[in-house]
Amino acid sequence: MMSASEWSAKLMPVSAGAAFAHPSLAAVGEVGEGFFKERTEGNLPCQASETHLFCGQWAIDHIDRYVTPTLEQLALVAISVVAGFVIAFALAILGHRVHWLRPPLLAGTGILFAIPSLAFFLLLLPVTGRGNETAIIALTAYTLQIIYRNVVLGLDNVPASARDAARGMGLTSRQILWKVEVPMAVPEIIAGLRIATVSTVAIATLAVFAGGGGLGTQILGEANLKFPTTIVISGVIVILMALLFDAILLIAQRFLTPWRRVRAI
Amino acid sequence: MPTGDAAPDTQPASHAGASSVSYENATKRYDGTDVPAVDGLTLEVPAGDICVLVGPSGCGKTTAMRMVNRMIEMTSGDIKIGGESVRVGDPAKRRREIGYVIQQVGLFPHRTIAQNVAAVPGLLGWKKERIRARTTELLELVGLDPELGDRYPAQLSGGQQQRVGVARALAVDPPVMLMDEPFGAIDPINRERLQNEFLRLQAEIRKTILFVTHDIDEAIKMGDRIAVMREHGRVEQYATPAELLMSPATEFVEDFVGADRALKRLALMRVRDINLWEAPLATPGQPTTEVKSVLYAPEVEVRYPLLVDSAGRPQGWLSERDLRAETVPERADGPLGPVLELDDVMRDALADLLQAGVQYAAVVDRAGAIAGILSVEIISEFLASPDAKNDEYDAVERPLSAERGSDLSGDDERERVEREIDAG
Repeated sequence: MMSASEWSAKLMPVSAGAAFAHPSLAAVGEVGEGFFKERTEGNLPCQASETHLFCGQWAIDHIDRYVTPTLEQLALVAISVVAGFVIAFALAILGHRVHWLRPPLLAGTGILFAIPSLAFFLLLLPVTGRGNETAIIALTAYTLQIIYRNVVLGLDNVPASARDAARGMGLTSRQILWKVEVPMAVPEIIAGLRIATVSTVAIATLAVFAGGGGLGTQILGEANLKFPTTIVISGVIVILMALLFDAILLIAQRFLTPWRRVRAI
Repeated sequence: MPTGDAAPDTQPASHAGASSVSYENATKRYDGTDVPAVDGLTLEVPAGDICVLVGPSGCGKTTAMRMVNRMIEMTSGDIKIGGESVRVGDPAKRRREIGYVIQQVGLFPHRTIAQNVAAVPGLLGWKKERIRARTTELLELVGLDPELGDRYPAQLSGGQQQRVGVARALAVDPPVMLMDEPFGAIDPINRERLQNEFLRLQAEIRKTILFVTHDIDEAIKMGDRIAVMREHGRVEQYATPAELLMSPATEFVEDFVGADRALKRLALMRVRDINLWEAPLATPGQPTTEVKSVLYAPEVEVRYPLLVDSAGRPQGWLSERDLRAETVPERADGPLGPVLELDDVMRDALADLLQAGVQYAAVVDRAGAIAGILSVEIISEFLASPDAKNDEYDAVERPLSAERGSDLSGDDERERVEREIDAG
């Protein structure tokens, strides 16, 4: 098993480089120091904690420490995905109606998606300052490409015959969109939301670099890195959160698309 | 059973009548093309008729059809439904008054069958109760169990889906229906069934129907009138199926109708529609001299007498040896061969004769009693005779009624409609 010092040695260059390159991140480091002090001052049930990847007793004793960061992260993800969905959906409808807008929209969302997440947070800092807003802006930008592409795909996949029949029966363009095309695109739209949500749950851990809180606060910092238990706990919460969101969306899909579950002849 | 001019009191309560459709120099020219897709089409479709637009692909028949509900906007000219120009008013609103059935059906997969059928009534803001009653009525009308209303389209076969497509198009009882190769994607056996059912339904509802197909056989079967079209929507001939087969106006029509058009005409009629030969009959125990005298009567064309039992049911052909005895024997020497029925389609009857390798065969009525004799000679004379046209024209209307009488589901349907009329 890898010792904690080896762990931190491995991770340090990254986190040190990132954390200490920007003055605004000093605070995060301090929080971490606090932990570490507390831990070394003898409150620890796990004697050889530095060599333990996970200390169960400590986790049980300190689980309340994770409540606020977890809620922060949940809020970050929920707000970003909802905002991303609203924007991407509107763009997709635009692209659906006005075909020549498609390449620029795809390229635009693609560029946002391609920016390395850490760089994105740091680039935004001078513009929007530290805080939730910055984190949400970046996270929202990341969801756009995936959701946009899936909404467009879903609308494109609507069979031409259904559209033709709808028009022939006297549905207006708007009625065709909302009564036929969008409901039929729900599976693709939700597939996009699932990918976007899970990746946002993961990326939201980096919101700490923008001062956006979240579980990143429990991971980042020299002290935390020397004490892997807190990283493990945060990681497990992130995974559970991703699974939770995914499950909610899956249930929503089942509820919204009963027609997909029927057995075809 | 009235077929042609259905009296008002035998029509479904919701019947809204039909309107004539007239093309008046209707032209469609697509941007960037020199030649119009449809060039000055003028065509009059009487109310309540099925008008089939038939022609090779690219002849503009679908364009011509889609101009009626403005799925394609015409460039010039006009189309009038019941005297009123389709160019007036909002296209979407107009389309709700015109039934629309397409080859791919285009059911909404995310809606149940009942919801699909209720699409237009829903747009028009009908009350839930009325929609539910109408949906049930329509599903029954197209021969589907109303229980299927809760299913989704993916759970239905292709044939069932197209029935739903027809029901959906009929939902608000439009006076005009457009059908674009509605049975084109269905396997031959089910297509035949759907065509027959649709003809039966049409005899009931009497809509004005524009029916597009590239299949001349389907056109002949379905059409009251057929417009044979070629490039740019030019109508080569507009006539009844019988006229078309009898006297193609141009070489194009002749080619399109096909070399087997004589046989196609036979598909339009039944054995009862032709003058049969009288059968020289013999019953067991009858003196053979009596039988022989009948054989030499001038109007009798068959050389051998047909042995029938007391109920007139054919038993077999008597041979010369049989006739040498004093009286007609109990059993005939010769085999009976194929026995045809009055309701048989003429083409099938001819096939039976040819397959059995005989020149003629006994024809019986529904009770099995002898009705006459059909021979290959009768058929070929009929096809060659100048008045075949008139005989045949009558025949065109008849298959419907005959079929209807012998078809149980048709009877059920009629009874249902009659019950409803009785009820209110």
